[in-house]
Amino acid sequence: MDFELDDDQRELQRAVREVLDKECPPAYVRRIVDEGHDPTDLWDTLTGLDWPALALAPEVGGLGMTWVDQAIVLEELGYASAPGPFLATCTQFAPAVHQVGTADERLRFLGPVARGERTGTLAFDEGSGSWDPSDVAATAVAGEGGWVMAGTKEFVVDGDTADEVAVALRIDGELRLAIVPGGDLDAEPIDPIDPTTRHARIRLDGVRIDDDRLLGAGDATHALRSALEESVTAVALTTVGACQRILDLDLGHVKERHQFGVPIGSFQAVKHKLADMYRDVERARALGYFAALCIAEDDPRRGRAAAMAKASAGECQRRVVQDGLQLFGGIGYSWEHDLHLYLRRAKVGDLHFGTSSRHRRHIARLALGGS
Amino acid sequence: MQLRFDEATEAFRSKFVAWLDANLPAPSTTGERPTSSAGVPSWSRAFQRRMFDDGWLVPGYPPEHGGRNAGLSEQMVYFEELAGRHVSRSLNPQGLGIVASSIIEFGDDDQRRDYAIPILRAEITAALGMSEPGAGSDLAGLTTRAVPDGDHFVVNGQKVWTSGAHDADMLLAFVRTDPDVPKHRGISALIIDTDTPGLECRPFPDLMGPDHLDFNEVFFDDVVVPRRNLVGDLNDGWRICTGALAHERAMLWVLWSEGLDTSIADLVRCVGDTPLAEDDVFLDRLGSLLIDAEALRLLGYRGLARLQRGLVAADQSLLKLMGSEGQRDVALLALDALGADALDQRKGTSVFQPWGANRGDASWFDRFLNSFAGTISGGTSEIQRNIIAERVLGLPRG
Ligand SMILES: Cc1cc2nc3c(=O)[nH]c(=O)nc-3n(C[C@H](O)[C@H](O)[C@H](O)COP(=O)(O)OP(=O)(O)OC[C@H]3O[C@@H](n4cnc5c(N)ncnc54)[C@H](O)[C@@H]3O)c2cc1C
Repeated sequence: MDFELDDDQRELQRAVREVLDKECPPAYVRRIVDEGHDPTDLWDTLTGLDWPALALAPEVGGLGMTWVDQAIVLEELGYASAPGPFLATCTQFAPAVHQVGTADERLRFLGPVARGERTGTLAFDEGSGSWDPSDVAATAVAGEGGWVMAGTKEFVVDGDTADEVAVALRIDGELRLAIVPGGDLDAEPIDPIDPTTRHARIRLDGVRIDDDRLLGAGDATHALRSALEESVTAVALTTVGACQRILDLDLGHVKERHQFGVPIGSFQAVKHKLADMYRDVERARALGYFAALCIAEDDPRRGRAAAMAKASAGECQRRVVQDGLQLFGGIGYSWEHDLHLYLRRAKVGDLHFGTSSRHRRHIARLALGGS
Repeated sequence: MQLRFDEATEAFRSKFVAWLDANLPAPSTTGERPTSSAGVPSWSRAFQRRMFDDGWLVPGYPPEHGGRNAGLSEQMVYFEELAGRHVSRSLNPQGLGIVASSIIEFGDDDQRRDYAIPILRAEITAALGMSEPGAGSDLAGLTTRAVPDGDHFVVNGQKVWTSGAHDADMLLAFVRTDPDVPKHRGISALIIDTDTPGLECRPFPDLMGPDHLDFNEVFFDDVVVPRRNLVGDLNDGWRICTGALAHERAMLWVLWSEGLDTSIADLVRCVGDTPLAEDDVFLDRLGSLLIDAEALRLLGYRGLARLQRGLVAADQSLLKLMGSEGQRDVALLALDALGADALDQRKGTSVFQPWGANRGDASWFDRFLNSFAGTISGGTSEIQRNIIAERVLGLPRG
């Protein structure tokens, strides 16, 4: 067991931080939040640096780096509250296609991702909040020389902007994955609490898909569950990053801000809040990287680890968002201060892909010997 | 980052496992309980001595101190194997973990021969005399006075909470040797035999019950201590008090981790297939505790990895905080969830372990109370949070 980044990974972390400091500073995030700026320019920069290809397999043109390397990128994207298609494309669409698709299908749909030409997402949940394959009810039936879908998908990340949408649906009761061009779908974006993370509702009713866009063969429940472990871990890691940003902002603030003639960071009520925030960030980060490591090594603990990563990230943001805002006093309550850019991102991390509580209950059931 | 240890480390593990298989005392011989944290039954002493003689007591030490010069990963898997079997190396934990290691690190050869090695070989036991009625969290405010007088010191004053002192052969006592300098700079560490005239131990019961005698008040009335019993330099005792125990400390979290895992396993066993197993509120909280246990282990491993990279592992406070508060939270959840089923003081909550803190018959309320030994002793949780805030996060002292 060696549970620390190696020198190359530290270097990657440093390089990623440097890029995002320059390309996605608070002022950039503010343009997204305030003006609805389209983050395609940032995506162009990141694809120019091959970021989408990092963790993709060499067979599809990826760089074949490990999931731990990808974890580093994800944490930093959260730290910067970076908008754009990375999360949905690389941690939702790509794992789903990889897990369910044949070698040819992977090449067809992930090759363009590796080259930075196409984005994607995964349309999965239907509003039950479970994010579990067994709750997928959307269907497709044979017709019009292909398949015709029925149902509605909720909370699809980048659902109205992704080039390709991987839709989980049932055919004769079996769970399958269809890759549908975004342009064919009726997607309705929701007004987001965090404009750097956009969701849409997608109505599938009557939309036709070609036969060769139905991936793999047979029931994909197991494969999609594995893919979701990656998606869940990715959301957890970006949440940890956002929480670390909030903690850093707070630490800077309490050392600078004076009241009663001393820095407010010298008050014990303030110190203990920060010590607890630190504990929760460290706890969640440890579990996030453990899940990444289990995925990288395809260890049997990966499902439990992913649930723990997501649950602990949720617990972390709960404290860090609350106390992190409180410790700023009035300036934290202003629109003008950058703090809320990261508060939004941290909170959103808990809300999608299964709440913290849901994942905790799952973990407990595993310990009690249930399913 | 890697999930597994390398082959050499696994080979070391196998060697130790084989030794344990051949040498663990038979259950029929391990019934006798300790009388206190320095009152160690003979079967446990015999086992500890065998570990020492075979170089398995403190693997990181050289053979003459009961080790085999093991590296950090090797020490880690060693502790994993002990924890997995609920085996303690010693039932005099402060003797092995703090007193002997302090003497080895800061003492001279005579002190090592006369005290540290006998403690390691379980020939004698030791107590730790730090706290006083007026000096707890503010340990440096201690006032027990040692006045140099020729080839000896004369000690007057009082210690309190001194675990096991009435059963111990010696104390490592922290005393004031210079009252005229800032408080951290006037402290020294003395080895004091408990049978020295003028030293009196008065045991008193703790929260576990009127016959549970571990705490002591220790009174010093003109106690004469030979100068050769001074550990380290005069007035340099604070260094021994604080950062000094780095190597052993780096692994102590394994005990917290074992304790937390055991508590959770006991709770899971108590719940079994009762309706609680389907109760969403209970499951939610249990899930959080399972995460605590996993995170503690992972952060412990991270500390190890940092030590191996030559970085300081600054997170001992974090690990202590998580381990001790985690055990409290498990007991609290048990009480919350079991309700009236937790009323019976004699309804067993755990499986008997020879090295365990109880016979397996402690109630969840006992275990809840007992968890405060973890959150209070060795620096309270509040003090740990101060340390994290000031030393890790760099906040100004208030
Ligand atoms: C089971 C057990 C075994 C022990 N064994 C030994 C032993 O073998 N040898 C030995 O020397 N001692 C021993 N102790 C003593 C232990 O180290 C002290 O109890 C501990 O350091 C706290 O000191 P105190 O009891 O004087 O509490 P106090 O220091 O009076 O603390 C009381 C409360 O005030 C809080 N507080 C104090 N200072 C601060 C601060 N700066 N900031 C915030 N909060 C603060 C504390 O956190 C605590 O909640 C043992 C204690 C226990 C419970």
